[in-house]
Amino acid sequence: MAGSLKNPAYRRYLLRTIPVAIGYIAAVLLASWLIPDHAPATPLTIAIALVPGLVVLGWVWAMARLLIELDDEYLRLLEVRKILVATGVTLAVTSIWGILELYTDVPRLPVFFVFPLWCLGLFVGQLVNRLTLGDGGCR
Amino acid sequence: MRNRLKVLRAERDWTQGDLAERLQISRQSVNAIETGKYDPSLPLAFKIADLFGLAIEQIFRRD
Repeated sequence: MAGSLKNPAYRRYLLRTIPVAIGYIAAVLLASWLIPDHAPATPLTIAIALVPGLVVLGWVWAMARLLIELDDEYLRLLEVRKILVATGVTLAVTSIWGILELYTDVPRLPVFFVFPLWCLGLFVGQLVNRLTLGDGGCR
Repeated sequence: MRNRLKVLRAERDWTQGDLAERLQISRQSVNAIETGKYDPSLPLAFKIADLFGLAIEQIFRRD
């Protein structure tokens, strides 16, 4: 989300998201290793599978804190625009794919991919910022 | 909205970085305001006006 790190709010964001990103990847890999394919939903499998989900909540919290702590209104605008674009991209892709799933036999899109898709949308938002304002984010 | 920020800054021989430091905002913000890509909030407009010792309408004008 952030560029380079003159603003302390971006530095704090990075310090929060690096461990969260590592934790997310580790938790997904661990859950994939511990839980066999098509395992029944028992308290144990649910508990293991919930770990990556809780890590995602940490990421959402870090992004919320960034918006709260950014004291520069223009930089905050850039971040809010990225989030709006990401949300729009996610709604567009999932809604269209959902309708395709409803009426045709296209492959099912697991809900798991919604968050990675939204993160990809943040990069699209950064690109939109660069193209429209000439500015991607913090420097 | 048009503004005279660049002129006022040049009169004082300030860089965008100098102005940003005085306003406690990023240099990117100063650049975005100067080039008309971003209109500042009212509190920031007052801060800019106070820094130059002018009224807001002496710095910012309608297109």
